[in-house]
Amino acid sequence: MQRYRQIGAAPRRSASETWSVITALIADTLQRSPVIAADDVAAIMDLAAPAGRMLIAAGHLDRHAVVVAADPVDLSITTVSGAAALALEENLAPVPGGATATNWMVYLPAPEPLTDAVRRAVAGSAHLRAGGPALRTGKAAALTAAVGPVDLEALARREADR
Amino acid sequence: MNSASTSTRTYTRTQTAVFLTEVVMGAIADILADLRIDLTTLYRDWKQDEAAIAAWIGEGSLEQVVLECHQPGGTVSPVLEFPVSYRSSGAADPKFTADRAALARYRAKVDRVPAGTVFRLLCTFSRTPSPQPGWERATRASTSGLRSLRFGTLASAPHASLSMRYLHQ
Repeated sequence: MQRYRQIGAAPRRSASETWSVITALIADTLQRSPVIAADDVAAIMDLAAPAGRMLIAAGHLDRHAVVVAADPVDLSITTVSGAAALALEENLAPVPGGATATNWMVYLPAPEPLTDAVRRAVAGSAHLRAGGPALRTGKAAALTAAVGPVDLEALARREADR
Repeated sequence: MNSASTSTRTYTRTQTAVFLTEVVMGAIADILADLRIDLTTLYRDWKQDEAAIAAWIGEGSLEQVVLECHQPGGTVSPVLEFPVSYRSSGAADPKFTADRAALARYRAKVDRVPAGTVFRLLCTFSRTPSPQPGWERATRASTSGLRSLRFGTLASAPHASLSMRYLHQ
């Protein structure tokens, strides 16, 4: 099942703090698996932190999601900036499904002009990729395709109503 | 009994500082990436630069953040200045806005630079700033002979706003 989470960025948090919250959400979700350690996830997310902080500060994560693919976990994470970040009611609880996950991959969006920077940040990691998953469809594809307006707040409200 | 209520949100100077800091750091990242300038030191120093700039905006000492591009031949161009304008009251403009679309348009106008160009990040102050880790006194490169173009307001917050000036040969 596809899940969506929104994290408050500036002025609620700095880009560095926002990346830490995203890291914690992913690690908390995946550490429920008996074969995935939270420390390993955090270490991998640290590798991606330089690119992640830039994506957040420049507002790219407001429009393009970080996607966690760890079957059955299918999680898209975006940020919210501006006054809406202060009013945002966040759900930072682990996403259901982590307990049965075995393999995992985090896809970082790679929009221009940071495409090369993101690719360099993820190069060599078995758990990081630049761009969206190849075979995604539906809403998650809309979140990661980086084309056309997407009402992220509506998606989050729908998710919260479930 | 009928009742009515109203609520107002009070924004803090710290929130203004965090917001404007992220806009300027994000703008610098996008500009350097667009110019294909190596980002290694921006990566390495991000947390300390982010914390220092936020602290200086919060205390009201930061005049502007300056991004200098040092070309291999010794030329320093372009130079991007990000001046901060402080408001006396936080009630004047109780919003957080960032014009990232305008920044994308401005970026397209910035001169390309040759391979091997490196950047330097500096701050200037209107009054004595608090000491911040990793930052030390430095002298700006001369901008004499450079043409200046004002790109307008990049971001606005309750206690201050951020604009951008572009200096180039």
